[in-house]
Amino acid sequence: MNPLGEKYLRKDFLPFLFCPGCGNGMITQAFLQAVDDLGIFDDLALTAGIGCSAWIAVYMHADVLKVLHGRAIPAAIGLKATNPSRKVVTFTGDGDGLAIGGLHLLHAARRNIDMTVILVNNQIYAMTGGQVAPSTQAGSRTQTTPYGSVEKPLDGCRVATAAGATLVSRWSTAHPKQLTRAFKKALNHRGFSFVEVLSQCPVQTGRYILGSGSPSFNLQWLRDHCVPVEDPARMGEVEAQGKVPLGDFLEIQNPEFMEEVQRMNREAKEARGKGGDR
Amino acid sequence: MKGAERIEIDRRYCKGCMLCQYVCKYEVFEVGQERSALDYLMPRAAKLENCRVCRLCESHCPDMALVVVAKKKGKGKE
Repeated sequence: MNPLGEKYLRKDFLPFLFCPGCGNGMITQAFLQAVDDLGIFDDLALTAGIGCSAWIAVYMHADVLKVLHGRAIPAAIGLKATNPSRKVVTFTGDGDGLAIGGLHLLHAARRNIDMTVILVNNQIYAMTGGQVAPSTQAGSRTQTTPYGSVEKPLDGCRVATAAGATLVSRWSTAHPKQLTRAFKKALNHRGFSFVEVLSQCPVQTGRYILGSGSPSFNLQWLRDHCVPVEDPARMGEVEAQGKVPLGDFLEIQNPEFMEEVQRMNREAKEARGKGGDR
Repeated sequence: MKGAERIEIDRRYCKGCMLCQYVCKYEVFEVGQERSALDYLMPRAAKLENCRVCRLCESHCPDMALVVVAKKKGKGKE
């Protein structure tokens, strides 16, 4: 077994329950590589909701909260508020993070809480059998859209950027080295960091949307349809060709939520010490 | 030139997705005859001498079952 797995995974839970060729194991490996390089495994606190990708957190021998569908981000906020010294990371899927938990994502990004959200986008509700998801491309045939989806997909990176996230990246499982680098940046970042990972799902996305359940076909689809862009302004050009732009889109510094709360508490105490409430 | 001493594939975890064979630029792998604990046909490092230790197969293994063990530097001179 991979030495990272020997070091950091719960061996009694293995093998992974993921289907053969699933991208989630590759994301686990890239994440563990980033954590190992930074040496912060003992500081990690992970939260996860419901979905295939939420199981990534459960396999790691760290502190894990597995919560209700879509509620991984509020649980992470609570965790961060009670113990700001922890590195809080949320693993969420496209259904968990963009559909049922979509508003939680907006408000966590708006507050700029120091946490990392890893959104695994496989373009479908995979665990429940291949229903249409908010990230499914228009025209895709799924179990619930047998004549093709007429809805436009939701772009997680644009949503997070608009809501106020301070680090936004998107990579795919076909780019494991870049993915590890993006995870490292996100873990080191002070503020709300959002990393979307396009992942292959041969069993649901592959069979129903792309036309083949072969893992290699699905990996090649990602290689063909993902275009790394240096300049975020070029995202539109790539999208116009029907492809998905990848890259590190945003990295800025803004006041962090817990620091602001602590500052407010300090100022209120000082004001009270001088004899007034305000 | 870099070379691999061996490529270990953990038969407890391998699911035979053959992504290792697909990503390898040097055609090291082939579909083997042995079955893993989960009853999938496992890959076999048939042309180990072609391996350049780029570790693409390792980073693409979805079950973290594959390890490339590189040859030690200066081996044979001692």
